[in-house]
Amino acid sequence: MRLVDAVRRANRPGEPENSIALRAACAGTGLAGIAACFAEDELSLAVAFASAAAVVAGTVFSHLTRTHPRQFMKPVLAAGALLACVAFFRSLTSQAVYDVSGVEDPLAVLFAWIQGVHAFDTPARRDLVFTLAGSTTLMVVAAAQATDLGFAPYALCWAGLAVAGLCGMWSSQSRGGRASARQIAGSVSSTAAVAFAVLVALPAPHISGRVDFPQNGAGGALITAPGGLVGDGRAASEPARPGSPAGPTRVGGFLGFANRLDTALSPAVGDEVVMRVRAERPSYWIGETFDHFDGISWSTTDLPVSLPAGSPFVVPPSIGGALPTDAAPATSDLQTFYMVQSSPNLVFHADDADEVWFPVRNLFVRADDSLVSPISLGPGAIYTVQSEVAEPTAAELAGSWPAGYALRPATADALRADLELPGPDPRVAKLARAVTAHDRSTYEKVESLIGWIGAHTRYSTDIPPLPPGVGTVDEFLFGDRIGFCAQISSALAVMLRSLGVPAREAVGYVPGPYNPITDLYDIEAKDAHAWVQVWFPGFGWQSFDPTAVVPAANPAPGATIAHEAAHVLGAVPPLPAGAVLGGAGLGVALLRGWRRRPRSWAEAVTRRVERAGRRRRRPRGAGETLSEYARALDAGSADPAGHWSALADVVLAAAYGPTGPTPGLRADAERLLRLARSRHAPRTVGRSARLDWRSARGALSAGGRRGARRPRS
Amino acid sequence: MRPRPGGRLGTFPKPVRAVRSLLRAAALVAVLGFVAHNGGAGWVQALADLVVGAVAVGLLAPGLLLGRAVLVATASPPDATAGMPVEIGLRCSARLRVVPLDPPGPEVFVGPSRGPRAPRGDTCVVLARRGVYGSAVLEVATAAPFGMLWWKRQVTVALPGELCVAPRLGPAVPAPSAEGGDPGTTRRTASASGGVHGGVRPYRAGDPRHRVHWPASAHAAELMVRVVDAEEDEQVVVEVSLPSDADLADELAERALGTVVALQDRGSPVLLVTNEAAGERRGPVADRRSAGRRLARALSRTGSEVGLTLRREGSRGRSG
Repeated sequence: MRLVDAVRRANRPGEPENSIALRAACAGTGLAGIAACFAEDELSLAVAFASAAAVVAGTVFSHLTRTHPRQFMKPVLAAGALLACVAFFRSLTSQAVYDVSGVEDPLAVLFAWIQGVHAFDTPARRDLVFTLAGSTTLMVVAAAQATDLGFAPYALCWAGLAVAGLCGMWSSQSRGGRASARQIAGSVSSTAAVAFAVLVALPAPHISGRVDFPQNGAGGALITAPGGLVGDGRAASEPARPGSPAGPTRVGGFLGFANRLDTALSPAVGDEVVMRVRAERPSYWIGETFDHFDGISWSTTDLPVSLPAGSPFVVPPSIGGALPTDAAPATSDLQTFYMVQSSPNLVFHADDADEVWFPVRNLFVRADDSLVSPISLGPGAIYTVQSEVAEPTAAELAGSWPAGYALRPATADALRADLELPGPDPRVAKLARAVTAHDRSTYEKVESLIGWIGAHTRYSTDIPPLPPGVGTVDEFLFGDRIGFCAQISSALAVMLRSLGVPAREAVGYVPGPYNPITDLYDIEAKDAHAWVQVWFPGFGWQSFDPTAVVPAANPAPGATIAHEAAHVLGAVPPLPAGAVLGGAGLGVALLRGWRRRPRSWAEAVTRRVERAGRRRRRPRGAGETLSEYARALDAGSADPAGHWSALADVVLAAAYGPTGPTPGLRADAERLLRLARSRHAPRTVGRSARLDWRSARGALSAGGRRGARRPRS
Repeated sequence: MRPRPGGRLGTFPKPVRAVRSLLRAAALVAVLGFVAHNGGAGWVQALADLVVGAVAVGLLAPGLLLGRAVLVATASPPDATAGMPVEIGLRCSARLRVVPLDPPGPEVFVGPSRGPRAPRGDTCVVLARRGVYGSAVLEVATAAPFGMLWWKRQVTVALPGELCVAPRLGPAVPAPSAEGGDPGTTRRTASASGGVHGGVRPYRAGDPRHRVHWPASAHAAELMVRVVDAEEDEQVVVEVSLPSDADLADELAERALGTVVALQDRGSPVLLVTNEAAGERRGPVADRRSAGRRLARALSRTGSEVGLTLRREGSRGRSG
């Protein structure tokens, strides 16, 4: 066969598709894709509305012209598709594309327009298959930017319509074949089971290759103080304040992420999601570090330095930082941060940030490796950080600082701030020396101190106010020994400094719950945390979390279970869950009602007779025929004409007669039913009788026999 | 394959043009998987998993459904004519495409459908050759639930009753004349009261009903038939010896049927001699239907002369 013949054969018009249900399902998938892209802010309202209207109009047009497709439409639609492609490429070239999302948005617009244009030329079933495929691409483009479970309703809606469309394809192929509810349920459950099995079996997705990683400034305002920390993004011009019990706190209630960290104030953090992180592994994501401790508050003495312009920004290694070697190879860790709440202008990152993709001209870095954004970070801001994490073993750390090793003067001078103590406190130093008396290396000392803290302290955020003139560490170590992360980590840092080990306070977020659907860590406000970083020669700053080994103070099992249950239930979006439950309930009710529907006209009339009889306090007996029941109703009514029995005769004649329920019989039945109801009023025993009795009593009490009516029995 | 009672289909269906469908599915899954896994978005991977699930179900479910479907022949006529359409009623638990293979026929869809149910249910039409059928070989196929890949299977379905497909009516062979004044079997019969009715005789099996002489029957207190022609009243023996070639045998059977019907139309009783599976069978045939059934069962006979032989009792004539 020649190529021309093959092309002609492939493009010959298919058999017209007559199924409206199939067209509706396929159009619905397209609309679901457009809605999903609009929800992810990939389509503007105008484009979404116009493309959706085109899908609907095109579907109707294609159905009406399915037997005689208008040939002139093909070049018109081809021109429309070509224009959409031209607009797509122009949008790419006219803007500076920072990341892949800069491509996805125009791509969504292109696919939406193609979907709308294609809808006008779908006369055959084969064309509707392309509609389904087009909707799949729309959903994939939308899913690429979905970061939470709010995308689930769109995915489920699209999946349901797609399954309906596929079932419609089969129904059309089989010339009206109908699948039973059991078969449909089996197909859907099988599809879901296979999908779940594949989801479980496959490894988590990752961004591979050196492509432009996601970054989006989300219109953040430029901060006037270069390198300074500002508020939560709501007031970008105000410097960040550490918060106070009487004043506003940081986002979610955490009192860090400012220029000072007050360890005496316990946080009141909530469950709101602050940001979402896509990472190759869970890490402690550092916001900033503090090197100066005055006994109660931490602060930093480092000044920010601007990195050379241009994204991606290369972050210089810190003092004595770890360099990849054969003995300690670095592990790459790529993290993308999606801001959900307004956040301080800190660029969170795992240890040893190497490159940062951020859509700004310059980025600030402090000597403590803290990265500061020049713009405020509001909801929708996105940036990517690649860290090269060296993970030395315990033996390597122990060997890096053995007993007797002394820091070089230059190093000690550079780390002077990380060795300073808030003031002379011989008790702390004595305790530290006692705990580490038998340890040889610095690493062993760190571990010993962490072990002692875990064995002798308790975690709780419910702590009494700090007595005046008493330091946080003093009160924590020699008072009730109950505290939270900032106090626990401060105690460890001070004890290490008392031993001459450089240590600093780090604040940031711990990995929140991992969502296997979105492949993101949902960082909540309560995940804000403080831990300690200890300097090791040759390996730089290494993170240690003493809070992890501290048991909680008297946790209540019931409260814990209730909290976890409330947390799980709180994660379920109420509106979609309510809609699903309500829809399911409505579906069950409709199904039950449909199953109980009268199968014939005679049955419907019989039910009406029974309903009327129940209102008249005469329900139909179990083995009572319609005729017997009608005679009983006639006997109970005051009407001697026997309308109920006549109605029963009409119903029986229609049910068992040769002609069935003719229009004449139906009219007779309606007339007889109306007459029977009117002559046989429903019983009103009780209320009216009670009223009559009261009126009778009132009449009697008034002293007059006014002939009160006897209540009806 | 012996007909299986109950009509449950086999458990090893085969896909139709599986390579093309599998290649398309593999390409789709590969592209989706590459984009999903390397794009880093969890929702893309979740959607890709849904598509994979649907593709897997669409490719494999038809085979399972075909293995579980039950197909039963509910009705078939007892008699038919070769080359004329015959309707066989079918009932199936699932929507299937049925193509009759033996006897052959056009494809038809049977099973639950959205439209109004046909008064007689689902039927398939077959064009059968001369013979006796106790079962039908059908090719059933389905692509449910998503119509992605067709699976098919051959199955033999037992018919509710035997289907005798008679040959078509062919040209008749002239019957031999009664030479030599063979008296044949015409006789004058006497009634029970001793009266003689000219041209009537007692009823014999095979006599046409229109020749019953009712007044004579009343007189004789038994059925009497008119003797129209002495020659026609003679029984004609039609001996059919079919060749082994199926087409030639059908042609000869058609001529035999035409001959028998022509003789019956003239009122001559016919004695048909055929070879069946149990051996030679001789017996009168009262009408076309019985003659058709006899000829449907007729088989070729080895070692004998092939052809159609007609003779009257007492005389012999050959034709064919």
